[in-house]
Amino acid sequence: MITKEATAPAPAPARTDHAPPRPAKKRRPAWDEVPRWQIYLPLGIYLVFTLIPFYWILLFAVRPAGSTSLVPWPMTTDHFEKVWTDRGFGTYFTNSVYVGLATLVMTTLVALAGGYALARFDFKVKRGFMLALLCSQFVPGALLLVPLFEIFAGLQMINSLGSVSIAETVFQLPLSIILISNFIKNVPYSLEEAAWVDGCGRFRAFRIVVLPLLRPGLIAVGSFAFVHSWNHFLFALMFLNNQHKQTIPVGLNSLMSADSVDLGALAAGGIVAAVPVVIVFAFIQKWLITGFSAGAVKG
Amino acid sequence: MLSSRDKGTVRRRTSAAVALGAVLALTATACGDDGSGAGGGEGAEGSGKGKITFWDNNGGIRTAVWKTIIADFEKANPDIDVEYVGIAATEYQSKVDTAIQGGGLPDVGGVTASMLAGFSAQGALEPLDDRLAESPLSDKLNKDMVESLKAAGGGDGTLYSMPTSANNGVLYYRTDLFEKAGLDAPTTWDKFYAAAEKLTDAGKNEFGYTIRGGSGSVAQALDAMYGQSGITSFWDADKKKTTVNDPKNVEALEKYAALYKKVTPAADVNNDFAKMVAQWDTGTIGMLNHNLGSYQDHVKALGVEKFRGIPQPVGPSGKRVQVSNPVDGLGMFKSSKNKEAAWKFIEFATSKEQNSKFNESAGQVPSNTEAANDAWIQKAEPTKLAAQALNDGSTTIVQLPYYLPDWNTLSKSESEPGFQKVLLGDMSAKDFLDGLAEKLNEAQAEWTEQMG
Repeated sequence: MITKEATAPAPAPARTDHAPPRPAKKRRPAWDEVPRWQIYLPLGIYLVFTLIPFYWILLFAVRPAGSTSLVPWPMTTDHFEKVWTDRGFGTYFTNSVYVGLATLVMTTLVALAGGYALARFDFKVKRGFMLALLCSQFVPGALLLVPLFEIFAGLQMINSLGSVSIAETVFQLPLSIILISNFIKNVPYSLEEAAWVDGCGRFRAFRIVVLPLLRPGLIAVGSFAFVHSWNHFLFALMFLNNQHKQTIPVGLNSLMSADSVDLGALAAGGIVAAVPVVIVFAFIQKWLITGFSAGAVKG
Repeated sequence: MLSSRDKGTVRRRTSAAVALGAVLALTATACGDDGSGAGGGEGAEGSGKGKITFWDNNGGIRTAVWKTIIADFEKANPDIDVEYVGIAATEYQSKVDTAIQGGGLPDVGGVTASMLAGFSAQGALEPLDDRLAESPLSDKLNKDMVESLKAAGGGDGTLYSMPTSANNGVLYYRTDLFEKAGLDAPTTWDKFYAAAEKLTDAGKNEFGYTIRGGSGSVAQALDAMYGQSGITSFWDADKKKTTVNDPKNVEALEKYAALYKKVTPAADVNNDFAKMVAQWDTGTIGMLNHNLGSYQDHVKALGVEKFRGIPQPVGPSGKRVQVSNPVDGLGMFKSSKNKEAAWKFIEFATSKEQNSKFNESAGQVPSNTEAANDAWIQKAEPTKLAAQALNDGSTTIVQLPYYLPDWNTLSKSESEPGFQKVLLGDMSAKDFLDGLAEKLNEAQAEWTEQMG
């Protein structure tokens, strides 16, 4: 059992009259004391820089081919229809959802198990294992393509969405394990001990006491895994050899040929690719910020 | 420390995790299917029936036409199914290289001249000379294209790719802007430079030309250099030293690079073809150098009335000199287990009707000489002019050394940053070309030594 000895903090030294006076602390101005332009001008400039490219994409996606209008009028859905039906984005979308969700589930489950072990157990090679996890982040995916390809070919998994999901999970795991381990360290061990005293086993104590407290962390890790696999291109390109199994990033890439590019279709495809990510972030942003700040407390 | 109960729990959890991993792996395996040959395998002639896989090296924009050709093929050969996989041109070579190393190559794949040396050096391609000799297509393919692919295949004169089409450099210009400014068509380099200057009004965001400074810039710069200098060979008489740093070429490049920012947008230093084509199609820019492949994009954006696409300008000698564009073709991978069916597909795709259909869609010059006379070519002016220029003796083609395995690296990743420095004035054209020449001469010497 792990115990922590409580010690009282040392008393602060008594102040003497001879002590030099502390410089007066500069008070932070309250929200209503700051002129509005000092807040909105920088925010506005930032938004202009951020949103203009998005506006441009939207403009190309909805204006007819050949139009040079700077406003999205007259509007057409031709480009969306083209990418969704003719270029197979309907299929790519389903495949990307499959890969994203599979990666999310596998990453979260394995990271929970690994993170718990790192947070709660001491074992001989723990530091070496942590170092290996960190080092694995420095290896670019492209370097491992041929070995991964050979492994999946040996397992008869080339051309399966499962191969992409597993490869994505493997690359997501190091960071996810480290994050989850930090979240678990923030949950007092005494809570689990109390559950054991009440008759729970380790797994049940984890499930009913620790797991609910990890919700922000799980959302952060899961959404990160989903978004990363949604956007990732390399593994899907290399491991999938069937048109009907390709994912959104590969489909987007194929909208640009060697010497011709359909900008309207490319922009429409970009919006199809971006919308789910935007929706995911809109729903989880509160949890995401809580999750990352909680995970950052202990290193 | 863990208690014995904890240790037991950990063991059970470990077993559960391993079991879960195994289930996930098996689930994933259940939907897996390799279905194609292993890299490096010798393959087999096969029965001429069953399924073959075809990787398109320029997937996306050409997917529709290939699917039509495949549908026609399957109708004519009901015993053969063709699985089409469209792969973006930018990623094709790395995907094939990975499959050569790891397995999973298709039966048939698009193989352009610029890829041939790399693939054939790895022993991945099946020689096609004997099959072509026995085919009714043997005397119906453009001889220059066949020779170009033979020369690019590593130097042993073997044909590894059946030509399907040829691309060609085109000078696109805005007829509406030229008419308004009272300018003649830019048919000579002098007219080109004069028009570029006259059409530029940077204050109004109007420019005479858009230069390619990003990806693919060096091939375009070489085209402009040789076009102006009139030098007709990439190598000297001994085939040991390149002519890229010949004083005439240096002078031509200095003049060409000086166009940057003077008559072009400043952002051109990062232009790849997509940015260059997009800004020409949507902005007010007089001229653009690209190839036949973007013709349909310009038609969609500008309509046929506002622009023309003509062959490169002629030099002071009155003779047009251009650098070669990679000939596109279809190769058969050695690992194919159904080579007979694969060859039937290649033959079918290069037959008159199908080759014509493909090139009409791609806007390129057909390899099948019978298809080259079809009516659509007369309607697509840039293709017609390119075909004429390639066939009527008015143009000399400087053959770029696609046979050098290092050619792609030398002409792209190793040279493009240097060309950007030339545009920005941080490096002289002479230093840039001297550096490029040194690397090319080394690569040529190494290749000559290897070939014995």
